[in-house]
Amino acid sequence: MPVWLLLPALAVLVPMFAYPLYQLGLLSLFDYGQPQVSGGEPARFVGAGNFSTLFADPAFWTVLGQTVVFAAGCVVVTLALGAALAVLMTRIGKLARTMLSYAALTAWAAPAMTGSVVWMFLFDSNLGLVNEVLGLDGYNWLYDRTVAFALVGAVVVWHSFPFVMITLYAGIQAVPPSVLEAAALDGAGAATAFRRITVPMLRPLIAIVVIQSIIWDFKVFTQIYVMTRGGGIAGQNMVLNVYAYQKAFASSQYGLGSAIGIVMTLILLVVTLLYLRALRRTGEVL
Amino acid sequence: MAASDTTVAAKWRWGLLDVVVVVFALVPVLWIASLSFKTTGTLTDGNFVPREWTLDNYRTIFSTNQFVRALGNSIGIALIATAVAVVLGTMAAYAVARLDFPGKKALVGVSLLIAMFPQVSLVSPLFEIERSLGLFDTWPGLILPYITFSLPLAIYTLSAFFKQIPWDLEKAAKMDGATSGQAFRRVIAPLAAPGVFTTAILVFIFCWNDFLFAISLTSTERSRTVPVALSFFTGESQFEDPTGAICAAAVVITIPIILFVLFFQRRIVSGLTSGAVKG
Repeated sequence: MPVWLLLPALAVLVPMFAYPLYQLGLLSLFDYGQPQVSGGEPARFVGAGNFSTLFADPAFWTVLGQTVVFAAGCVVVTLALGAALAVLMTRIGKLARTMLSYAALTAWAAPAMTGSVVWMFLFDSNLGLVNEVLGLDGYNWLYDRTVAFALVGAVVVWHSFPFVMITLYAGIQAVPPSVLEAAALDGAGAATAFRRITVPMLRPLIAIVVIQSIIWDFKVFTQIYVMTRGGGIAGQNMVLNVYAYQKAFASSQYGLGSAIGIVMTLILLVVTLLYLRALRRTGEVL
Repeated sequence: MAASDTTVAAKWRWGLLDVVVVVFALVPVLWIASLSFKTTGTLTDGNFVPREWTLDNYRTIFSTNQFVRALGNSIGIALIATAVAVVLGTMAAYAVARLDFPGKKALVGVSLLIAMFPQVSLVSPLFEIERSLGLFDTWPGLILPYITFSLPLAIYTLSAFFKQIPWDLEKAAKMDGATSGQAFRRVIAPLAAPGVFTTAILVFIFCWNDFLFAISLTSTERSRTVPVALSFFTGESQFEDPTGAICAAAVVITIPIILFVLFFQRRIVSGLTSGAVKG
């Protein structure tokens, strides 16, 4: 067994991932706040206390619901846009395709911080280009919960559609031309061939892209944190990720913050298991 | 697509749509660049092209310790984390791609677990651990979590590349009298280099763009990176009106990313489609 090849990676992963993970589990079972951090009081074991506090808090359920709806919205729009553009890429000339690829990759790779700042300024109530163009002087896009979520969602989509587009385009390119030619010989039109051959062949790839988008959009942090200044007016734009962060850091309830972390991890674990099933169906063995 | 249905008119229609998308993807970046070149007086005029060009915003940020230190931190931390992650990732990916060993499935499972893991959950434990070890608010305090969370990406991407290398060439070179070292240096390394390089770009982008760890595991200019420093540009500090300065700083951290995309577009695409996970 090639232990020595893996040891260096493990030497980082065990202390920096496995141990904090264990600590996370432990913290979630204790009442651990500011007095305990500074050593003034011993940490008190509360068992599932943090979880029952959490589940009894209506705010938690609101945030959970918001997170699911927000992530679902982002995933649907990202996929629709990404898939449509992947098809578009097969229809345009080489120059247009290259331009599209460059532009999309720039959006994909731009720091989330840049994306958030740019979009904040684009939609700023006073100096924003959008209000200028639409003639909505002084309209605040972050005032209304839904509008604010939609705006943050637009930034998330801007960052994530390129991945879907490029992956699906690569998938479309990988469909053997001979199969499509055979379909054409049998009298299938381009649209039929696409619906009956390309899409079914891409199904496993689509599953992967969907699940990756879910994992990614469920964990959106920077955009919400920066654009809505930590969760929106009175926390109206809170999602689980920001909620966990605020509980732990802003209000120093590390125990409760850890419990939220565990809940998020379990949710994502389920999604990941679905991902593994999708991977297995593509015949991919890593 | 059959060639028959792509008439000239259709080509034009698709081309037009293409332009719309390119604008959607690029306008935000161009807009912030434009803001960063505007004078304080014309900042709010809503003109897409600045009426009065100025480098004042750049002069302002580069004259403050707050930004210059942050830029140094960003560059140093991202480069070191990338180098280490790629070396460790290369070793592990070689094992995953070429060798069979017990626990290989478990290793792959753990990588996937880390890739999907909500980083925010680990922030409080890491904060505690780093404080007790004296790593809080230091370079290693950020480098280590970056390596941790980019390793799965590195291993995944690299092993996908390594599986495509015709390893028989190594044997052939040895038969022709090359030593193991020569076979590796002359034959395998050149074949593996593009994959390693691609992975390095993806890992660098991940480290460079991070905001969550950088804001929670730092507290001073000693180790704050640009994305975080930028969030501290407020009216109370030396920036009277921080808008121009924020835009200039945002442009500066986006420049390396744009250069990567311009020069290595093909590589990034091949890295992404090899199954890379965006962290």
